[in-house]
Amino acid sequence: MAEENTTITYDQAVTELDELVKKMQDPQCSIDRLSEYTRRAKELLDICKRKLTATDEELKQILAGIE
Amino acid sequence: MAQSSLFDPQDTALTLAEYGLRIKQAVNTAPSLQAQWVKAETSDVQVRRGHCYLELIEKSADGGTTVARASAAIWANTFTALAARFQAVTGTAFGTGMKVMVKVSANYHEQYGLKLVITDINPEFTLGDMERQRREILERLTREGIIELNRQLPWPAAPQRIAVVSAAGAAGYGDFMNQLDNNPYGLKFYTRLFQAMMQGVNTVPSVLAALGKIAEHRQAFDCVVIIRGGGSTSDLNAFDNYDLAAAIARFPLPVITGIGHERDVTVLDHVAALRVKTPTAAAEFLIQRGTNALAHLTEVSNTIAALVRDTLAHAREQLAFYTSVMPMAAGNRLATERTNLVHSIQLMQTGITTLMMREQMRLEALADKVTLLSPRNILNRGYSLTMHNGQFVTDATMLKPGDVVTTHFKNGLARATVNLVKQQ
Repeated sequence: MAEENTTITYDQAVTELDELVKKMQDPQCSIDRLSEYTRRAKELLDICKRKLTATDEELKQILAGIE
Repeated sequence: MAQSSLFDPQDTALTLAEYGLRIKQAVNTAPSLQAQWVKAETSDVQVRRGHCYLELIEKSADGGTTVARASAAIWANTFTALAARFQAVTGTAFGTGMKVMVKVSANYHEQYGLKLVITDINPEFTLGDMERQRREILERLTREGIIELNRQLPWPAAPQRIAVVSAAGAAGYGDFMNQLDNNPYGLKFYTRLFQAMMQGVNTVPSVLAALGKIAEHRQAFDCVVIIRGGGSTSDLNAFDNYDLAAAIARFPLPVITGIGHERDVTVLDHVAALRVKTPTAAAEFLIQRGTNALAHLTEVSNTIAALVRDTLAHAREQLAFYTSVMPMAAGNRLATERTNLVHSIQLMQTGITTLMMREQMRLEALADKVTLLSPRNILNRGYSLTMHNGQFVTDATMLKPGDVVTTHFKNGLARATVNLVKQQ
């Protein structure tokens, strides 16, 4: 998850979230897919919230290192 | 020599002070030199002990050479009021490099020389000139098709990595950082300061240099914020600059300008993706984007929860429906099955009976045939059968003399011993 946190950008995560919601809103969406989508959505929501509110030490250091 | 002494220049020569007094009388009282409106450009503006000292200059049409120059001063008793009015009208402090229209009185002092004493300033003239310059820059940016470029850049959903162009230690920079760091939503921001002079003649080159450095690291940032110190003077003239405006217009990241201007806007504000009035407002905008992003996440979360709830509820309903419908359906099904079964049994019974009857008839026919062909029948028809050792004797070679044979007739049997065997 930590790896994913650094590889996926906030905008990518939000885009995927919005797509998931659209898929879940489709009346054809089966319950099996729904639980799969929900799991992924939860994952993305956590990533996004973390990006907004948890300190990213690595990013801090990258910016501090710019000459 | 006495005659010569009569014309001795030493007798008529004035002291410098005496001559100076003559200039003073000629200049300081000449109506054409007093309270005259003059158009000029300001240079080397300095304020000392409340007095404003400056140079008034006029440049050639191409701007290359100075064609006129005079020292000037605005005494403290008038400067305070004039400066305030000037700032109120132009939105800019009275300073160097401005086109001004000033009411001057030539004042010569034998000790200090010639000085143009400014008693009034027409700020509308300066404003008009600034607006003309600004308009020219904006027209050029429009003509070159770049004026909208920065505004058209997409904003990231939540800009968190921010390149700040400001003077270090400036009050405005501090305000900006405080606002970001102490936001009550727990939003995290990552800032990096790129120092620049935010006033004076070095403003343009130093801001350009800072932007150049940020451009090298554009992948590391979401946006750029240009903020000013927020000191007492607000010499914004430097920001009405074509090169700076073009650099911002072409910048690959969205630029926010918060260069602290209440009344008027600089050309930078026309090209920047976002213009705010104060550094604090710049921070508020970024925080607002963050809270919007958080709100969107909550909304998505709620939408998903509702979707799951609805879908499950629907599924449960469906299940309940099946549950209620199933016994009836099952009952119906069973009845149908039972009918089918009965029918099948009947069919089977009929089938079996038919089969049995047919078999019976076949057996009877077979029995007839067997009866017809049986040895008994042959015997009945007057033939006899001879057996030896339990086998019908059908061949003469089966017997040899001395064998005992039994011959069956329709009404009995006879045992005999073979005397002779003869093959034909």
